[in-house]
Amino acid sequence: MTSVNATFGEVAAERRIASAPLSHVSIELGHLYMEDFEAGPERLREQFRRVAPWAGTVRSSWQDRVPGGRARVSTCFLIDDYFSRFSTPAELVPMVLEAAADCDLTIDYIARESACAVSDGVELARLVEDRLVNDPPPDTNGSRPPVKESGWLCNGARSPQVGTVQAMGKANRWAPPLQNAKRGHSIFVDVELWDENGGKRTWSCPFLAAVWQLLRLGLLRTDGRLPLRPVMREDAFPDDWESLPAVMQLNPAAAPFSAYTTLSVLSPRFLPVELAVRTILSQVAVDGDVLRQVVARSGGEGIRLEEELVDRISYVFA
Amino acid sequence: MLVMGEVHTGLLQNSGEIPESTCRDVLQLLSGERVRVSRRPIVYAVSPDLLTGVDCRLPSASQSRIRGAGTVLSRSSITGGRVVQGSSYTRIERSGSDRRQPWSHYLARPGVVEVLGKVKSRDLADGFAEDPPADGLDLGAISARFLDVVQSSPLLDRRAPFKIARTRLRWVAEQGEPAIRFTLHSEQMRTVRLIHAGEFTPAVADLCEDLALHDWLLTALLVIIERARIGGTPGPEAAVKLAPAVDHLLHLWMPSARVDDVLSAYWESLDRRPGFTRQWQSLVDRVRDQLAVHTLAFLREKSGGGAR
Repeated sequence: MTSVNATFGEVAAERRIASAPLSHVSIELGHLYMEDFEAGPERLREQFRRVAPWAGTVRSSWQDRVPGGRARVSTCFLIDDYFSRFSTPAELVPMVLEAAADCDLTIDYIARESACAVSDGVELARLVEDRLVNDPPPDTNGSRPPVKESGWLCNGARSPQVGTVQAMGKANRWAPPLQNAKRGHSIFVDVELWDENGGKRTWSCPFLAAVWQLLRLGLLRTDGRLPLRPVMREDAFPDDWESLPAVMQLNPAAAPFSAYTTLSVLSPRFLPVELAVRTILSQVAVDGDVLRQVVARSGGEGIRLEEELVDRISYVFA
Repeated sequence: MLVMGEVHTGLLQNSGEIPESTCRDVLQLLSGERVRVSRRPIVYAVSPDLLTGVDCRLPSASQSRIRGAGTVLSRSSITGGRVVQGSSYTRIERSGSDRRQPWSHYLARPGVVEVLGKVKSRDLADGFAEDPPADGLDLGAISARFLDVVQSSPLLDRRAPFKIARTRLRWVAEQGEPAIRFTLHSEQMRTVRLIHAGEFTPAVADLCEDLALHDWLLTALLVIIERARIGGTPGPEAAVKLAPAVDHLLHLWMPSARVDDVLSAYWESLDRRPGFTRQWQSLVDRVRDQLAVHTLAFLREKSGGGAR
């Protein structure tokens, strides 16, 4: 009798991970808050004028890096509709596009900040919170569950609480907090992820910005699927923010929204926010299969990506 | 370099076996991630893999102070809607540096603990298989939590049909000439030293979980038979005590069901010596014979009583 090679598969037992279309770099041209809007279109033009040369530099450096100069570069712009609601897409989006065009910039995608919290019924912020693996201080051996301060995340060990009384009646004295991977001295960072008021959770700005970076890096999945796909613009922009897609594609010829790397050109006043974002992203466990997928894709194009995802994110503070 | 793991196995704290849909709900430990279920040849459901961060002393037979940092990969699973497992493992690798790296470095290598400084693979493996230091890497505690999270699910009624202790199986896998050594230590503790030919794959962890499951089944059946005190107690009483084995355990024996073909030779060799399946079969026969004898006695008594 000859032997027969039998294979048997069960769909429910297999893990399938969708892959995201990826550009080489995603450039964030700006982040609009109410105060910027209130300051009028001139403030926007000023911002775009500052950004334009940096965006050009990054574009040409990727063109040099990619064979044939065919770098895939996409640009995006984020509007805050989470912390404050102002104006309407119908009024605001054309104004932003016009200001960008005045500075020879094309905005490929426009996104709503609230989409980083919930998008199409998927709670992206929760998804990311569930994937936080806390940076363990020395002598964390797994014998106890990780110490978590609800709603906060730090990069080391917090100070013991002053004034509490230990066994034997000795009051705790102040001791400094410690950064885990310090170089000589600590730079201890403790970030508020969210707060709750009357049962309603508000995610912090750095936390949503961390979700935003993960979306731009194409590293999030929900049940193996991409949680968010850009929707092509229609002729007219809606009158309310809810009707605006989470990420809207404005330029039909744009390179993919997500990319191997990201660049954000920001005002230096965002420096503390971005330190918080890095602290969060350093503790997000991205799915191993997704990491491998992206490395294989970039490797296939002859591009060596940084191993750590925080190193795929760069900034210009100008 | 080598892989260390620990599997805890226990009886699900529920009166009956739970259906596949409940398994899915109980094992839903991570949002946006599916519980994987396979139905052939036995229903097996497994939670998504989760990571735990550690930075601590690693076991060493020579009592050297070796520090490692990284993540441990863990999951919970339910087999046949009846047996629950909490399993953790981590690959120990040499680090390029003596310094503790920023955490993002370790999260780029999920399920890897890097050794800071010099280390001998054998020293670590021996240390882990023997008696790891109390302040060292505690995979047992992590696995126990992954078992507890299932047992404490509000979807379970917490009325298990019989009491039985959890078993712990600690394993170390190294690369080399294929071999396996299974050692029973105490009532609950077992170790497996496994040497695999190629690179480590998660299939090795699957194999260890499968071994732990079947070792627990064997242990549980032995305990039930022991408690029945066959020959020492009246027949009907012994039969009642044996009944849970028939109701809850006998159909669960499916050695190598989920084991990769490449690794099934390990099961086969353990089945030759000490012969897990042989022992299981003889115990099953014993339970069935006892019940048959008891049934015959019962029938005889009934018919004899009727004639009189």
